[in-house]
Amino acid sequence: MLLQVRNVTKRFGGLTAVDDVSFDVPAGHIKAIIGPNGAGKSTLFHLISGYHPATRGTLTFEGAEITHLPMHEIARRGIARTFQTTSLFSHQTVLDNATMGYRMHAATNVFDALLRTPRARREETESREAAYEALRFAGIAPLANRIAGSIPQEAQKRLAIAIAVAAKPKLVLLDEPVAGVTSEETVEHAELIRHMANEGYTICLVEHKMTLVMGLADSIVVLHHGKKIAEGTPAEISADPAVIEAYLGAATHA
Amino acid sequence: MHLFFQELLNGLVVGSLYALVALGLALVYGTMQIPNFAHGHLYMLGAYVAFFGVTVAHVGYWPAMLLAIVVLALVGVVLERLVFRPLRNAPEVNTIIAAVGVLFFLQTLAQVWFGGDYRVFPTPYDKVVHFAGLVATQQQLIVIAAAAVLMVALFWFLKRTLTGATIEAVAQNRAGAALVGIDPNRVSMMVFAISAGLAAAAATLIASISLISPSMGFTVILKAFAIIVLGGMGSVPGAIIGAYILAFAESFGGTYISSNYQDAIAFGVLVLILTFKPTGLFAKGT
Repeated sequence: MLLQVRNVTKRFGGLTAVDDVSFDVPAGHIKAIIGPNGAGKSTLFHLISGYHPATRGTLTFEGAEITHLPMHEIARRGIARTFQTTSLFSHQTVLDNATMGYRMHAATNVFDALLRTPRARREETESREAAYEALRFAGIAPLANRIAGSIPQEAQKRLAIAIAVAAKPKLVLLDEPVAGVTSEETVEHAELIRHMANEGYTICLVEHKMTLVMGLADSIVVLHHGKKIAEGTPAEISADPAVIEAYLGAATHA
Repeated sequence: MHLFFQELLNGLVVGSLYALVALGLALVYGTMQIPNFAHGHLYMLGAYVAFFGVTVAHVGYWPAMLLAIVVLALVGVVLERLVFRPLRNAPEVNTIIAAVGVLFFLQTLAQVWFGGDYRVFPTPYDKVVHFAGLVATQQQLIVIAAAAVLMVALFWFLKRTLTGATIEAVAQNRAGAALVGIDPNRVSMMVFAISAGLAAAAATLIASISLISPSMGFTVILKAFAIIVLGGMGSVPGAIIGAYILAFAESFGGTYISSNYQDAIAFGVLVLILTFKPTGLFAKGT
């Protein structure tokens, strides 16, 4: 099992955002996490990536516990994530953004950089190549020299994936990969995600667009008010009364 | 016309000093949003370390500068680790007060260790150079050249190397940098080391033109803050341009208007520029 989430709970003051959630992500799987707004999906991602520490429960990645590791250490273990809010370093070029994804694989330190050691030069070449490869993978290589903040929304979403791929991770967490993207582009995005899975990346995604989720996911976890209310294949989930109730309930209150 | 070029030269010397000090301040502010009021006192400490290197250890001018840079880089790292990192998530005012605390700590330390006297920093480069009717000391020319070399090196490091790029990454998105596996705390330490090291280099360069004393940090920190406000908070190119603008305003204002009003003229220019460009010359977009 690549990732094991066990009884994970997150409280912010009196609010329990994630409540005793457990599930597994097997290697090579596409796992979707769905639920109405405020269900705790993004918080769950924050816990896995180490952005917030879990209040209770354990996270195990490749058999080692990662619950209380700092973010950069979790990233180095092989978990990459994308943000809902588009690109990471919006004032840098697209290529530089992707290069940052690969940065953690370089051992170069400040002295290597200043002394132009062979290692520094080799790693700079390697990281450029890895970045270009990731941009080609995501289909945005022609935009390499544009400033990340200035490219279209959909391309920024692709860049987020390129940054994640450049890090050569084992698990990619995609936080609403098609939010704010047109329905045509959503289809292309789904292909890209499918392509990632075929290339051997394990994927965990949070998404509202059910068409995307149902078409892509191997299995789905449904959260409601922080609790896991269902887990299963897309067919099982769409027939689950508790899920229908949660979504319809949320709709009537909205 | 002759006077004009002489003042241009003087402005370049002072501007080079300001630029090196303001750069370090801008780098720390731009990366961590820490207004390091103790920066001028790191500069002061750098001057004393170099002074010790030249007068007590007799290692020579350039090795003494290197010593000052290394010692101050370490002081910068310690400062980040012990003072500023624990305040990372505290309200900004706590960080400001801590920086002021460090300022007074260093000032007192210097007073106790070195005494309050002004000291003359000996330089091997005190010969006067004449060219095209202009007069400069070798040391003044060294200040201009060394500052230019350091600035180019810093730019190249920030823009062209992987390690330098991590600084930019942390500056733009601290959490995002951690997400791609960059340890923001390590970057913070590196930035403080570079910042304090630059201050030490500036101090060693200029100390042999002016005098050194435990309070020498006060004047320079005021100017440096004015410069980074002028340049756009946290902007590296802004700090450099701002430094030369302030220095030229001082030297030309002092010559052509009145030397009594030198600082008033310089800060008048600052106010004027901020009136038209309130966010500074190179404001970082957010």
